[in-house]
Amino acid sequence: MLTYILRRLALMVLVLWGVTLGAFLISHALPSDPAAAAMGNNAREEQLADFRERNGLNKPLATQYVIYMGQLLRGDMGTSLRTQSGIVSDLRAFFPATLELTLVAVVFALLIGLPLGVIAALWQGRPPDLLARTFALLGGATPVYWLAILALTLFHERLGWLPGPGRLDVYSLPPPTHTGLVLIDSLLAHDTAVFWDGLRHLILPALVLGAYSAALLTRMTRSALLEVLSQDYIRTARSKGLTPSRVLGKHAVRNAALPVLTVLGSLFGSLLTGAVLTETIFSWPGIGGYATTSAISLDFPAVMGVTLIAGLAYSVVNLLVDLAYGFFDPRISFS
Amino acid sequence: MTAALTSESGTGSAVWRRFRRNSGAMIGLVLLVALLLIAVLGPFFVGSPSAQDLAARLSPPSSTHLLGTDQLGRDVLTRVVSGSRISLGIGVSVMLASLLVGSAAGLIAGLLGGWWDEVIMRVTDVFLAFPSLILAMAISAALGPSLTNVMIAVALVSWPTYARLIRAQVLALREREFVEAARALGSSQSRVAFRHLLPNSLAPLLVQGSFDVGNAILTAAGLGFIGFGAQPPTPEWGAMVSETRNYIAQAPWASSAPALAILITVLAFNLLGDGLRDVFDPRKGV
Amino acid sequence: MSQQAVSARKRQMFSWGLALALSAGLSLASAQRESTLVIGGDFSDLITLDPGASYEFSGSLVAGNLYDTLVIYEGNDLKTLKPRLASSWTVTPTASGSRITFKLRDAKFSTGRTVTAADVIYSLTRVIALKTPSSFLLTDVANITAKSLSAPDAKTVVMDIPKTANPNIVLALLTFNVAGVIDSTEAKAHEKAGDFGTAWLKDHSAGSGPFMLNRWDRSAQVALDVNPNAFRKSPNIKRVILRYMAESAAQQSSLNSGEIDVAWNYTPDAFKAAQSNPKLRALKAETFSLSYLGMNSAKGSPFEDARVREAVRYAIDQDGMIDSLLQGLGRKTQTIVPIGLAGSDPKIYYPYNIARAKELLKAAGKANGFSVDFLVSTGSCSGGVPCQDLAAKVQSDLAKIGIKANIKQMVNSELYTTYRAQKATLIQADWSPDYPDADGNGTPLSDYAAKSLAWRNSWNNAAAGKLAQTAAIESNAAKRLAQYGQLTALLAKDGPFAILYQPYKPIVTQTGIQGFNRNANGDVQFEKISKK
Repeated sequence: MLTYILRRLALMVLVLWGVTLGAFLISHALPSDPAAAAMGNNAREEQLADFRERNGLNKPLATQYVIYMGQLLRGDMGTSLRTQSGIVSDLRAFFPATLELTLVAVVFALLIGLPLGVIAALWQGRPPDLLARTFALLGGATPVYWLAILALTLFHERLGWLPGPGRLDVYSLPPPTHTGLVLIDSLLAHDTAVFWDGLRHLILPALVLGAYSAALLTRMTRSALLEVLSQDYIRTARSKGLTPSRVLGKHAVRNAALPVLTVLGSLFGSLLTGAVLTETIFSWPGIGGYATTSAISLDFPAVMGVTLIAGLAYSVVNLLVDLAYGFFDPRISFS
Repeated sequence: MTAALTSESGTGSAVWRRFRRNSGAMIGLVLLVALLLIAVLGPFFVGSPSAQDLAARLSPPSSTHLLGTDQLGRDVLTRVVSGSRISLGIGVSVMLASLLVGSAAGLIAGLLGGWWDEVIMRVTDVFLAFPSLILAMAISAALGPSLTNVMIAVALVSWPTYARLIRAQVLALREREFVEAARALGSSQSRVAFRHLLPNSLAPLLVQGSFDVGNAILTAAGLGFIGFGAQPPTPEWGAMVSETRNYIAQAPWASSAPALAILITVLAFNLLGDGLRDVFDPRKGV
Repeated sequence: MSQQAVSARKRQMFSWGLALALSAGLSLASAQRESTLVIGGDFSDLITLDPGASYEFSGSLVAGNLYDTLVIYEGNDLKTLKPRLASSWTVTPTASGSRITFKLRDAKFSTGRTVTAADVIYSLTRVIALKTPSSFLLTDVANITAKSLSAPDAKTVVMDIPKTANPNIVLALLTFNVAGVIDSTEAKAHEKAGDFGTAWLKDHSAGSGPFMLNRWDRSAQVALDVNPNAFRKSPNIKRVILRYMAESAAQQSSLNSGEIDVAWNYTPDAFKAAQSNPKLRALKAETFSLSYLGMNSAKGSPFEDARVREAVRYAIDQDGMIDSLLQGLGRKTQTIVPIGLAGSDPKIYYPYNIARAKELLKAAGKANGFSVDFLVSTGSCSGGVPCQDLAAKVQSDLAKIGIKANIKQMVNSELYTTYRAQKATLIQADWSPDYPDADGNGTPLSDYAAKSLAWRNSWNNAAAGKLAQTAAIESNAAKRLAQYGQLTALLAKDGPFAILYQPYKPIVTQTGIQGFNRNANGDVQFEKISKK
């Protein structure tokens, strides 16, 4: 078990190194000039030259990479060309908002996708199944930004049920930052008003972001359950007189959990992609918006920082998923 | 998504019979044929997608403009119809490109094994760990926004799926009798690959491919939405939603029409993918 | 007591506590509401609140309320210099140029310390040393160095400027936030590795303005609180919140629901709808920006022949653009000095005339037109209109005279990189002068040697360059006007620009908001606003 984890961690480092190399090559192959991006339209040539000098942009590519990797090993991701502050502190400011949104979106996706999938499988071919499958199909095909615009227009503007863009109401003063997650920080500060406000603000963007994942989970749960239910030992259990719900609880869910787990792992990747679009519409102060603005202003150290943190999150989640396999399926051993 | 499928899905006519009985698949197919017809013939029946009529800007659907007009007085229906070529084109070419690259990589990894396998699989790991939209943004920023670059960007993030799929197929098939037999008869590696392994992997590739066309259209439209895609006045659907979203209060039709077009197209490909999987692997699905 | 009863009691207490907490939050909120001004807008350009480093619209907006400059333009009068930290000033000629002597008034920073001449000198010299994006205003336009500044006593600042700089322009640019005065003691206390406190000042404030920074939640909101030590008192507004809302649609829905008091970025169509909404007040704020087409006049470029450039100016349907796309959020003008600055010329040189444009193209040997790449920014252009819509309109106008413009949308950074390298053949861009003076446009748009817009469009006209340089330092107002008259006429006839419009900035507020004014420099004095 330990050797397995160690091997996986070593592989993870290798993959992340590959990510830095890829990101570095792409961002430095840019024909455009980050100095011009940072110094604005009216800047003089001397200012641009000075900026390049200060930020090491006129050094050879290989040298720049060595410098970058050296910094990285010391936990320093460099300085953002646009904001002129450390990437690490930038990420610390923006990542929690995305993390909170993504986590709540996963919770929503699970709360919607799992029951729908189970219902669809149990009532296979009948109206509940049809409804669930329609949801799964529509959820998988709707452009997330369109859904976001619709949701805001309907639930915020027309019906007024839910608050609009942003993480908190204007008049809710953000709680002191400990974790950066509003829900946790507000509880730590014993500020229930802010907690509810934060939760209400999370509902729409998290539902929109989680819709695609919920659809995917519905499909996966349904087909995984159907496959398990058609297998011999379940039939045996049924013929022995076990009620469907007991069969479901005892055997099916446990076995169907494996493919669902696989999907969950890949969800984090698609959620981050969705976050870029969802955050734009919901004015969410997260890493998606930071990545977009950074890419627009050719702030490649920042883009690399985002890429690295996203790659790290993806790798960690997938490692956890693989470890969870062992929990659900004792036949798998980590050798 | 596609578990390892086997090649024994029956003869062609049996497959078609099963396909026809699958209502979802048939709906998908009909939708697709309709979309293809619109894409191929539609542009001949409508005018220029960039013809402006500022006097009639943001006008609601009427008999002259069936889906209304946008902020420059351009006919929304005309633009959606003209845009179908672009979106279908992106979807299919991205799928083909990533399928070719991915299959080649997967075949090499599966057949040659050893270091080849190790290196190729680690490369796919890296690409999978990349946040796809951010990678696509970076590439688009680097090469300049254009439809071609969007396609390159989306293909770059989708080929690893095929590589892994093919590799898994190869590993599963390699030990099977007919491949062993071909080897024993002295067939070369490439001959084995092209005559036996590839055809036998066709079913899962088809399934994955049809899902991927939908995914590629969604991702490309997403890129178009944040401004990294087609150049105006190109009627790319994602860009159309983006361009008209500021007018949603005044003219909801202008952004709804292209958004629904994306939805329907992706839906059609997903239905087809679902259907194909059910057909090739009758144990799953309905 | 049974287990159940205990838990029921606990539940009850919890809900009591919850209700209490909620109602406490609400009453606090409603008290805050009356004295809090909330502005929703796209503030994504905000990267620092350090007045010496900030060169973006949002940064200037905030810094102008956190810091004071020596002199200022009050409200919409951008011609009369008013005292701010300097109670008076004199300009005297010297052997090498001129000397400006400022007398400081009594003022205190938000930190409680008194504003002294040493603070002024520290604030200006740190900008020169830091080489910030706006430092060229001091070094290249005002031509000053650290040695040009001295303080004979704690209340007097002396600035020596060379003959190459016009003292009136120097005074004009001292109103910009680059010359905002910082509490030097505070800044020095937070200095890190000789950075003049710029890292700390990025998200902290130490000024004498009517507000001070409470906190800046990046990409979420900036909260300013009233500065109790300020001499510019804010009688009504105790807190100002700038709320990030990039999408115009989000601003519209938040303004309608009463969540925000002011919306900063409306699209022209939404603005028009707001004008007829009795619950909202729509303000058309004036600007000195110009939206223009740049035509590269280099040898071999299709725009090399001045007649082709004239043809383009005849072919642009300015009225259609302003009436429908901008819904009136722009003014028609055709010369390089914006309306509102001394030296601007209201004359319409080019009435819309397709036939005339075609004749000119024919005379230039391009009767069949030509095809050209048309560089356009992504995002929103001035006047609130999406750049791509504007570009599509220009494209269809040019198509009518046979010019096929292929739109290439680029993010700003790339756009300007191409432009700076003189590689843009046809570009759509905005220009705002750095200081409210005709020279803010005259030199960059006409003088090839200034390496700005004229240079970027490869337009080298010796007469225009000479005129711009002379007019810049001319001290006789009448003569100066005549020189700008000549310069604008010369550029209208031969220059590389086709002016599209001079935009208004659309701002929409609740009707209860009084005293909200944005001047053409983009400044808003938050302390003058009240809320009902």
